[in-house]
Amino acid sequence: MDWQAIWLSLRLSFWTTVILLVIGLPAAYWLTFSRRRWKFLVEAVVALPLVLPPTVLGFYILLVIGPRSPVGQLYAALTGGMLPFSFQGLLLASVLYSLPFAVQPFAAGFVAVDRKLIEASWCLGVSRRSTFFRVIVPLSIPAIVTGMILSFAHTLGEFGVVLMVGGNLAGITRTVSISIYDDVQALNYHSALETSALLLGISFVVLAATYGLRRRAWAIWPA
Amino acid sequence: MARIMAGDLSVDIRKSYAGGPRIEAALCIPLGAPSVTVLFGPSGAGKTTVLRSIAGLERPDAGSITCGGEIWCDSARGLNLAPQKRRVGYLSQDYAVFPHLTVKKNVAYGLRHGSADELLERFELSELAGRYPRQLSGGQLQRVALARAMAPQPRLLLLDEPLSALDAPARARLRTDLRHLLTSLKVPAIVVTHDRIEALALGDSIAIMIDGRLRQSGAVDRVFECPADADVAEAVGIETICPGRVISRSAGLVTVEAGTSRLVALDIAQPHPEVFVCIRAESVTLEPCAAGTPTSARNHLPSRIVSVIGEGPLARVVLDCGFRLTAIVTRQAEEELRLREGEPVVAVVKATSIRLVPRP
Repeated sequence: MDWQAIWLSLRLSFWTTVILLVIGLPAAYWLTFSRRRWKFLVEAVVALPLVLPPTVLGFYILLVIGPRSPVGQLYAALTGGMLPFSFQGLLLASVLYSLPFAVQPFAAGFVAVDRKLIEASWCLGVSRRSTFFRVIVPLSIPAIVTGMILSFAHTLGEFGVVLMVGGNLAGITRTVSISIYDDVQALNYHSALETSALLLGISFVVLAATYGLRRRAWAIWPA
Repeated sequence: MARIMAGDLSVDIRKSYAGGPRIEAALCIPLGAPSVTVLFGPSGAGKTTVLRSIAGLERPDAGSITCGGEIWCDSARGLNLAPQKRRVGYLSQDYAVFPHLTVKKNVAYGLRHGSADELLERFELSELAGRYPRQLSGGQLQRVALARAMAPQPRLLLLDEPLSALDAPARARLRTDLRHLLTSLKVPAIVVTHDRIEALALGDSIAIMIDGRLRQSGAVDRVFECPADADVAEAVGIETICPGRVISRSAGLVTVEAGTSRLVALDIAQPHPEVFVCIRAESVTLEPCAAGTPTSARNHLPSRIVSVIGEGPLARVVLDCGFRLTAIVTRQAEEELRLREGEPVVAVVKATSIRLVPRP
């Protein structure tokens, strides 16, 4: 079994989830409460990874972060490194690829918060930002946890984007799914079976825990 | 419209909705003395929009709102102060108590200084401090919402249909409680309602809104007694409303002095003797003066006819029986009894047809 690849995938999924939490919450807030007329365009862009083939997304990301692009040059100037075929590049691609899996559940949670509670908070002199953290987020915990778990699971299983942006460097960009693909190509079925079974097990446990805990642990006020 | 004083809340706004009435409301509410103003009118008249505009939750299409010399909204200057900066306590219809917080944390939510315990005490919520909203009754939720609204020390309280979320028995009970609470808070309040009894029981003054416009305002009994026009009269509905005073009570009945006459009515179990006597015109029966046969009705009032106005098959008869009493009879009865202006007649009203409402 390719423990190195498993560890890499878990690290990638973890950091992707953390970053998506940080940028996904404000993005979902904006999508929920903004009254801009062109909001639908942003919604469409956020949802693109749902329908786009991963190879297309990966190809564009590769172009944008390549060493000759402005983004690539800026990154090189700042860090001295390169984004393609690095863990950081892979992380960036994963964040973009899993964006809708975080933002859409977050936004669905925010929409479901009773507007009157938000207004009550405003009238009590509490700023919009504090209202977000004191009312909207606590009442959207189930939706936020769902979004985080979906992001984690989605990153764990990605293949096309990873291959396009990260290639196949052991310990740096070789994730579980690529490792399994390699094993199968090399007719190393035994190893492929083991890794696949582990991935299946992790995914199942995470999702089962999500649905199982949904009613109890997240109900932070008594039923 | 009264002259605008420095300590007044002055609202002059226009707003239209697709498919809704065009709202053009101008009203001026003195904030100097802590009094309760009822914004009254049928559903869809635009009362809630006015209230939400005052709170800063709704942006008028045009117009201005000033409070105590401070400009809250001025469309000409593109100015609309955020609700956070208006220091207004706002209670929505269902109270909007935060479901994820305990009673104590709800009350402390907007607290700047001072302690939540004091507020809990004042609103009789100390025992419920650790409970969550879903464990509370409607009346308790209302107190939590009021205590929470009072925490940031608002200069004005806005209540949108404060009793509509309660079931009928609780509503009757809490009307009087709410009035006591509101007067004890020493903060001027505006209460939106479409219920006449609520308007009578809660308000010191009243502003009547119909079809998006403010039609009449003044002291509650004055407006109810002398509606400015037919629409207002229809909105206020009850034909006879006059101030009275409970002078004795026995066996579930009370004797009320209204004007120069005395009436027997059902006791409403409230300690305050000041009441409004409300009588619907269709529950008044007229008899010729000579008739002496005993009836089950408790109130036989010798009266003089002030006016008789035909309304299709009916006639509206205004009587002077020590106070102004309106009766509605059929045209046939009018003919048979020879109801003419200045003639004497006896008005008969059952004790159960008289509705007493606590007078603020």
